[in-house]
Amino acid sequence: MSGTLAWAVVALGLAVVVVRRRSVAVALVTAQALLLGGVAFAEAENADDATAALALAVRGVALAALFLVIVSRTREPRPVRAGVTPFARAGLAIGLALALTWLVPSIGLESGQSERAMLALVAFGAAVVATRRATLHQLLGIVLVENGIVLGAIELPGGASLGIELGVALDLTLIALVAAVFHERIFAEFGSGDTAVLESLRD
Amino acid sequence: MTSRETLALLAVGLPAVTALGVIIVPRRAVQAVALAGLAGSGAAAIALAVVALADPAALEVSDWVVIDAAAGLMVGVIGIVGLASALASPAFLATTTSGLFGSVHGTRAYYAGLAAFVAVLVAVPLAGNLGAAWLLVEATTAASAILVGFSGKPRALEAGWKYLLLTSLGLGFSLLGIVLLASATPGGTLDLLSWRSLAADVPAGDTTLVAFLLIVVGLAAKIGWAPVHNWLPDAHSEAPPPVSALLSAALLPAVLLVAWRVERALEPAVGEDTGRSVLIGFGLVSLAVAIPFLWRPLAWKRLLAYSSLEHMGVIALGVGFATPLALAGVAVHIVGHAVAKALGFYAATPLLGHEPRAAGHAVTGIARTQPGLGATMGISLGTLAGLPPSPLFLSEILVIAGGFQAGRSWAAAGTAVMLALGFVGLAHALVETTGGRARRRDREVAPGLRPVMALGAASTVILLALAAAAFWLPDTDIVEALARGIG
Repeated sequence: MSGTLAWAVVALGLAVVVVRRRSVAVALVTAQALLLGGVAFAEAENADDATAALALAVRGVALAALFLVIVSRTREPRPVRAGVTPFARAGLAIGLALALTWLVPSIGLESGQSERAMLALVAFGAAVVATRRATLHQLLGIVLVENGIVLGAIELPGGASLGIELGVALDLTLIALVAAVFHERIFAEFGSGDTAVLESLRD
Repeated sequence: MTSRETLALLAVGLPAVTALGVIIVPRRAVQAVALAGLAGSGAAAIALAVVALADPAALEVSDWVVIDAAAGLMVGVIGIVGLASALASPAFLATTTSGLFGSVHGTRAYYAGLAAFVAVLVAVPLAGNLGAAWLLVEATTAASAILVGFSGKPRALEAGWKYLLLTSLGLGFSLLGIVLLASATPGGTLDLLSWRSLAADVPAGDTTLVAFLLIVVGLAAKIGWAPVHNWLPDAHSEAPPPVSALLSAALLPAVLLVAWRVERALEPAVGEDTGRSVLIGFGLVSLAVAIPFLWRPLAWKRLLAYSSLEHMGVIALGVGFATPLALAGVAVHIVGHAVAKALGFYAATPLLGHEPRAAGHAVTGIARTQPGLGATMGISLGTLAGLPPSPLFLSEILVIAGGFQAGRSWAAAGTAVMLALGFVGLAHALVETTGGRARRRDREVAPGLRPVMALGAASTVILLALAAAAFWLPDTDIVEALARGIG
């Protein structure tokens, strides 16, 4: 993967951390998944690699469709506030990314840029889950983490396993479907997809 | 196909087919189809466990499937608890409606989810490959989260959401570790992730160590090891009781087995001492975090949930000590904990029917007005506390002795002290729950009590037999096979 593409993927991830609107975040994550699918297809060396790239692209489009249906069915009266300002979120995400880059040794992916991009996406995803209150944003954080790991799998010197890649795509889609059921029910129950209302279980 | 492979296929395939079957059969046949399918699956799983444990030296290992003593033990536990959960489900469903799926589709969705959950659960210990094991563990999240939120009540939604999000994030970090591990292997590919090839091919180095830590920490979030256990008390307390039983008695130890296999496979690369110390560390921290909660007056299912945290800590310590004594303790503990904990959760259905307040508050004096229910809860809590002749008393002694045998005296001593403190907390809860001052005087038989009492009688027989077996287990081929692992 070229340095420009790696930075583009990271920039899309950072944008997900700071944007306010759910639909914009969905578009950014989808663009990222499609970009990764394109990279995987361009670097495919055999039919298995090409199939895995296709599965990645299909997963990206399927999740986008699911998320946009969720957004349209559960219109928030106003965007759910994050509780942490965009600058603070970006700072936390970048700090976490730098910490991960420092902690994790070089792992021998095809380029150092890919390694850093992978870790940055994992960190950004974790930061989104930790700092956003909207259910859909938290789910997008998980997808961001998985996109980072997909990037790493694509850039493995020996290539990724088709079976594992298809399994991961299927698992993530299942998790997203279950999360969609929860999101809709939370919205129906509380009139908002704000996880701040889910704080009754404490000891 | 060998008899083990046939039984494994049946144990996984029957509940998977059942899950599909209950979606398409007429509404009036849903419960019968589900119970028949889960009974068949339970029988196949128990038969596989018997075959695997009768000849523990015989291994069946391929890149995708492993049937060894550990898998046999775990599949047997899942079979027993899956079957018991299926039998306990009609009584639960008679007392509730699903807010998540509505009254029309609730029963169908419940049994489809339950059968799918059992199918994936049985497959987890049989996975012969780290990648496949990860996929199956992740799949258990999808199947079980929907069941956690089944009631659709705000607290259940909160618990289900927290469970879905935290375990998915944790497993994301595990997957990152798997990619790091793949990059460290010669050829840098995800194809070389079978347990045997990991042990043989993964080189020592910083990357492998970081990968190992990421994988285990990610799995810890699913096992419910402290300090990444936050979802556990909520999900266990808000799920339907038969599902709580499966989560605690089957899911947690099944994922723990995966963590143990990872540790065993990577021992040559990360070092025996390092790998085992990580497990012991999680065990000690889990005990330390759980004990204060066992001293507090908690709602029944929440108390059982914190007890799960304690017992997963004990099992982590046992596999970390890894001596024959400790591993014998682990085997007894996994089975004893599963039977007693499942029984405790099943008792929640009549308990909540008798005293709805028990959903959010500690209950007292149940045996005064509901002797059968009080006895069932007492058997469960007494066993979990480690009150002799509980098999957990013996297994904890074995684990502690195994710690000293392994030369980890400080960890073993710390374990003994914390288990003693945990015993005092649970023993107090036992006295208060059964014999304290009764809040209700209603002596009418609690709804759903009879099947729970039948399960209680069967559980008592199993627990006493297990306590007797604990005396001869350390010298058997089963423990030797557990110690040898797949290699």
